[in-house]
Amino acid sequence: MIDLKHVSKWLTIGGVRTFLLKDVNLHIKEGEFVSIMGPSGSGKSTLLNVIGMLDEFDEGEYNFLHETVNKLKEKHRSALYKRYIGFVFQAYHLIDELTVYENIETPLIYTESKTSERKAIVADILDRFQIVGKKDLFPTQLSGGQQQLVGIARALVGKPKLILADEPTGNLNSKQGEEIMDLFKKLNEEDGVTIIQVTHSEKNAEYGSRIIHLLDGRIEKIETK
Amino acid sequence: MFKSFFKTGWRSIKKHRMYSFINVFGLTIGIASCILIGLYITDEISFDKFNTNAGSIARMTMQYSEGSTTTQTAVTGTKAGPQLKRTFSFIEDFARLINTTRVVKLDDKLFTEKKVLYADSPFFKMFSFHLLSGNPSTVLNAPNKVVLTQSISTKYFGTSDPVGKTLNFGDRGDYEVTGVCENAPGNSQIQFDLVASFSSLPVAKIDAEEWWTANYITYLKLQDNKNTADAEKQIDAYMRNTVSKEPGMTGSNLIYHLEPLLSVHLHSALSGLTPNGNINYIYIMLAIGILILAIACINYTNLATAQSASRLGEIGMRKVMGAQRWQLFAQFIGESIVITFIGLALAIFISIELLPIFNNITGKALTVQAVLAPLPIAAMLLMALLVSFIACAYPAFVLSGTGLSKILRSGFSFSKSGGGLRKSLIVVQFGISLFLVIATIIVQQQLHYMQNKDLGYDKDHLLVLPVDNSILKDYESYKAAINQIPGVQSVASAYETPTYIQWGDGVRKTNASADKGISVNAIPVDQDFVKTMKIHILAGSDFTRADLALLDTSNRWKNYWYSFIINESAVKQLGWSPQEAVGKTIYKNFPGTVKAVVQDFHFSSLHEPIRPLVIFLNNDMLYTMFVRVNGSDMQATIGHISALWKARVPKRPFEYHFLNDDYNKLYIAEQKTASIFSVFAGLAIILACLGLFGLAAFTVVQRTKEIGIRKVMGAGTVNIINLLCKEFLQLVGIAFVVAVPAGWLASEKWLQDFAYRINISWMVFLMAGAGVLLITLLTVGYHAVKAAMANPVKSLRTE
Repeated sequence: MIDLKHVSKWLTIGGVRTFLLKDVNLHIKEGEFVSIMGPSGSGKSTLLNVIGMLDEFDEGEYNFLHETVNKLKEKHRSALYKRYIGFVFQAYHLIDELTVYENIETPLIYTESKTSERKAIVADILDRFQIVGKKDLFPTQLSGGQQQLVGIARALVGKPKLILADEPTGNLNSKQGEEIMDLFKKLNEEDGVTIIQVTHSEKNAEYGSRIIHLLDGRIEKIETK
Repeated sequence: MFKSFFKTGWRSIKKHRMYSFINVFGLTIGIASCILIGLYITDEISFDKFNTNAGSIARMTMQYSEGSTTTQTAVTGTKAGPQLKRTFSFIEDFARLINTTRVVKLDDKLFTEKKVLYADSPFFKMFSFHLLSGNPSTVLNAPNKVVLTQSISTKYFGTSDPVGKTLNFGDRGDYEVTGVCENAPGNSQIQFDLVASFSSLPVAKIDAEEWWTANYITYLKLQDNKNTADAEKQIDAYMRNTVSKEPGMTGSNLIYHLEPLLSVHLHSALSGLTPNGNINYIYIMLAIGILILAIACINYTNLATAQSASRLGEIGMRKVMGAQRWQLFAQFIGESIVITFIGLALAIFISIELLPIFNNITGKALTVQAVLAPLPIAAMLLMALLVSFIACAYPAFVLSGTGLSKILRSGFSFSKSGGGLRKSLIVVQFGISLFLVIATIIVQQQLHYMQNKDLGYDKDHLLVLPVDNSILKDYESYKAAINQIPGVQSVASAYETPTYIQWGDGVRKTNASADKGISVNAIPVDQDFVKTMKIHILAGSDFTRADLALLDTSNRWKNYWYSFIINESAVKQLGWSPQEAVGKTIYKNFPGTVKAVVQDFHFSSLHEPIRPLVIFLNNDMLYTMFVRVNGSDMQATIGHISALWKARVPKRPFEYHFLNDDYNKLYIAEQKTASIFSVFAGLAIILACLGLFGLAAFTVVQRTKEIGIRKVMGAGTVNIINLLCKEFLQLVGIAFVVAVPAGWLASEKWLQDFAYRINISWMVFLMAGAGVLLITLLTVGYHAVKAAMANPVKSLRTE
């Protein structure tokens, strides 16, 4: 599904290149659950953004579902990630002005699906995540764990094949974090959704079938369980 | 999708209450100003368009010169219309109009009607004043016929049909009501309450027709395809080649110009029955409307860019979730549309509420119907859409186009990137405001100057009364009776008021026809006029009773001898010194002695320089009486005069006003300009300051941490306030530098219209600058002081 070949990304400051990613080779199959670990500044989030097509890179090749991403035009690329990828963030990034229901509905609005269709999909997800009772609340009225739940529901509403999660439990306490991780595991096992997560926590990393360790923009080692 | 945009828009409005209030308030004021100004302009440019024949009607103006001076008037003699119609086939019809005051008697009731229009028979055929009853071609076709407007008909006869009834016009005889017409529309240059047949007037008789006595406004109906310029050329040739060779017209240089009916109101310098508008004022109003709206739009843009930093997260998320650029763009427009349309709704409401006040300022009679007609509504919707788009275009464009990675990478601040634009826009806002303030001060100063200028005579404490024909018979005893009334200092009469002497004439030094003479204004007066007006005599002495006796009309006027008092300008043109002039004989058709020379006084608006004037004694042409009162017990004095009037002139109601009112009427246009400028300059300042208030609040929030750190490092309150205010004050300073030359140029241009005017003093700019600076300081200072007084520990902890 994901194939990165010799991918590098750098910043040039004062004529000196600082590598954010250096010669990264990575192959991820559909249905995998991959954790990315590493110290601050090792390039975890950059790698995730590159995979999610939110960020560009300077060198190398990236194939996603047999499309060569770095050769696609912006419009085509955004169509691709819109269709196949869902994002979950550490800070949830819910839109404060919208209710739970509307936040989950937003991605569907941008794919211009029909109102009735949208209603059905959102209702289904609310039901599955057991947050029907909270659908008219605003994000600020929810606890962190609940907000992240909504964040994941929103990521799933477009039925993506891949979920990219950037420290999804970083702002949560351990109990809430555990619930979220269990949810990811369930999604991976039951629905076959590919998941790539960035995490600092050894414990959460263990949920993945592979753990990729990054250091200074390189893959230091890959642990397979 | 759009529903979702509006929803977010609405919630964001609710969340940021202060910014929303500033935006809605600003747009409301801006749009309301535009609505009112739009109505005003629409009304002005619609003048006379209701006439279906408007395209083929022209107004004649008359031009003649005497010596070196050329005079142009909107009135002509009685002969111009009929003679030209008899000569040229392209003139289909003509209508001569003259407005007079008549005392109308119906049964036992008396009405003073000031708008009685005498008009030739084709009047109702040429112009589209709709007749409710009566036949347009016959209602005025014989002497002593009159058509009433609807309101007069109701006033006189209630609901019953007036046609066939008789009205008595005093010594002018009985008039038969032949029709009723709709009231003249407000946007008509011809205004009237009653229209009487022109043939009722003695001057209408064909053998009484003449070119020179110009009292009549003449309209011509040309053939539909006839070009006015072309017609003018043919008339000119005829006047030059034929008329100037007629007996009594030899050497005359009478020129007629034709003004298309539709260009009279806004493009002619000569007013007819109603005061003209001025196309320049239309442009000024239009500019003011747009400027006010621009200030409101700038507030929106500035606050939106300032706020956008806090919205970057949302925008980023929407992008991640697949929003395309146009969808984000649409969302911003959506929000702006919500705000603008709230503003529009409020603006419509406010402009309807303010309509009476606006009418009062502008002298219009605009109605709610004018606001709520389909066309204005369509225009308003269009304007609101346009404003929504313009106001949010920049933030929408930049925000929707910001790269995703930029947004996700922390530290990117949009508010910084928009800083340059925001600063320039503030400069624009304050530039506009300062410009309007400077213009307002100068217009007000000029107005004050005109109202208080020493005119060369004393216009205060003067009552103005009409002189009725019946009084003229024993005028002296009537005058003596008024002089007896306690509180009355002196009494005099003249043909018209000295505030605006319109009578045009010519005098010559010799009786020879080769002597071209000089063109003058003239006024017939009684012997106490100069004394009562307190006009200053430079040389010679005032009229005496003995001079009256010289006006000997016996023996076919053979011994008729005038007595003249002339002004300095006339003396100068005649080439004498004041002392030399006294005792000289000059000719104004008849010879007369120059009895005195008076100091120049203003007998016209201050737009015009003082022209030569001849004051001549003639007790038969007195229409206006001036009573100088000492002002101690005005009510009692007026009561006595009123009682005297009722005893002497029972057939006419007593009416009076003050000469000051006449004088102020000369400057109605300037007063309007002054009021309009004051109102809109005030609004501009308020809006600009509101925007600044919002921005200052924003800046303070943004710099809370910086302020906290500076305070911990030992910065005092004053340092902090200085830090925050400096930036804004600099912008106002730049605006000042831009606004001063612009304000100076525009005011100078406006002042050039006045022969007597103020000089623009640098104090004006200083005052305007200092005033605006002070207001800015207060606006920004509020936030700055608040920030400076805050406990730094608090602001640092929140970080």
